[in-house]
Amino acid sequence: MQISIIDYAIILAYFVILFIIGYFVKRKVHGLNDYFLAGRRLTLPIFVATLVSTWYGGLLGVGELSFSYGFVNWIVSGFFWYLVYLFFAFFLANRIRRTKLYTIPDQLERFYDKKSRFLGAIFNFIMVSPAPYILSLGIIFNFLFGLELWVTILIVSIVMVFYTIRGGFVGVIYTDIIQFILMMIGVAMIIPMAVYTYGGFDFLTNALSNPDLALGYIDTTKHLTLTGTQTTQWILIWGLIAFWTLADPGFYQRCYAAKDDKIPKKGILVSIGFWLLFDICTTFTGIYAVAASQAGLLEVESALTSYLSIAGALLPVGLLGLFLTGLIATVMSTADSFTFLGAMNISHDLYKNIFKKDATEKQVIRVTKIGIVITVGFAIALSLFFESIVDMWYYIGTIGISAMIVPILMGFFYKGKKSPWAGLGSMIAGSLTSLVWVIHGYMNAVDGWPIYIEGIEPLYPGLLMSLLAFVIINVIHVRRTK
Amino acid sequence: MILDFLLVLDAVALIIATSVLTYFFIKEIFKVKKKDKK
Repeated sequence: MQISIIDYAIILAYFVILFIIGYFVKRKVHGLNDYFLAGRRLTLPIFVATLVSTWYGGLLGVGELSFSYGFVNWIVSGFFWYLVYLFFAFFLANRIRRTKLYTIPDQLERFYDKKSRFLGAIFNFIMVSPAPYILSLGIIFNFLFGLELWVTILIVSIVMVFYTIRGGFVGVIYTDIIQFILMMIGVAMIIPMAVYTYGGFDFLTNALSNPDLALGYIDTTKHLTLTGTQTTQWILIWGLIAFWTLADPGFYQRCYAAKDDKIPKKGILVSIGFWLLFDICTTFTGIYAVAASQAGLLEVESALTSYLSIAGALLPVGLLGLFLTGLIATVMSTADSFTFLGAMNISHDLYKNIFKKDATEKQVIRVTKIGIVITVGFAIALSLFFESIVDMWYYIGTIGISAMIVPILMGFFYKGKKSPWAGLGSMIAGSLTSLVWVIHGYMNAVDGWPIYIEGIEPLYPGLLMSLLAFVIINVIHVRRTK
Repeated sequence: MILDFLLVLDAVALIIATSVLTYFFIKEIFKVKKKDKK
């Protein structure tokens, strides 16, 4: 891919802007409430920008899915998620805001006890690991500049740590606004250019349905159908993964930080509109990439980097720089938010609320800054160990969701008496079951692919055991205390 | 033809919606600056 000096200059300018924001944003922080939640002053537009940009970090993964499977990507990465967002907006968002807490472990302590907070903080820390995003950024820079992966990972981490340490959540918010604009404009540019250069649906239909042009390793003949070549079980598993939203610390943090009780619900509804428009663009960018390579008009190195290839082929100098910056911004906005959430787990949930209850605001902020470095250090180690984004998402997601969803939903919606042991037992049972299921799958792996019992994905038994443990322990414990 | 139009319309709508939100960001930043001056 040919990248001109102007495009490099645009990418460099983006990083300079992040540095400048990091330098000046410290003036806006006047205490712990500012550092953790931007003083709970998020207005509707800012709430939307930070939620939309933070939530959307896996652009390369989405590119891979839409390139390999076609329109079904919109169903599994979009449609199912919108349903869960709607549930969150109507039944959870304003309730969360009204509690005026800081984190999900705060909620767990409110529902159960300190033990649940402690365990919840550990699972939260794993779930918000920025490792997949730091690795994504490393891969993008490796692709663009040809530098060693560990060098690019280190450079990106240093920039992110700088502005997050200085400005806390305020720094994250300010950079999110810039990143939101860049990611939306960057992604939206590709589609009109693709339609203009290659043609519309006639081109897509011809290129994808012609078996003589087949890429060989991908069957593209059903790329424009709703379900593609995928089975119902495969699609439903992705639907289940969308429940991640209900235990996502980023969603909770932004609801806590909203200016009033009405903003979270309105903000999520507006965000769904942005995600809808954005997802259609990303899905069709992947479909255009595969169609163009089918027709011999584009050379694609791999499905994972298909967005980079099509952007390089379609966009003129300057716009390519803008697109690449948008791509980097999409991942960066998620990486910085997750880093800060991990640091809050260490400082607020563990240090302040378990180990040193009389800690002053200054001490908590200092520990948060140390926490940022620890979170990023842990993420760098993970990303160098795994070297696969999808693997990391899969394991973090499976174990985290199995542990957290049931105790959180029961906490909000079960009106009867709740035993603290039920919350704790539910987390342990869910996470252990899915972990054992994963290990068992790998012990029976064929060609490196795990073979699960009866072909059932670990998330199902994990969630089932979590629910069973909650119900059984709660019934026994509540009866005994009566 | 209609599908082509809708696809481009989606991208244009995304750019317009982003521009509208950007307008609100700028408005808010100036509002905050005015408050700071007062």
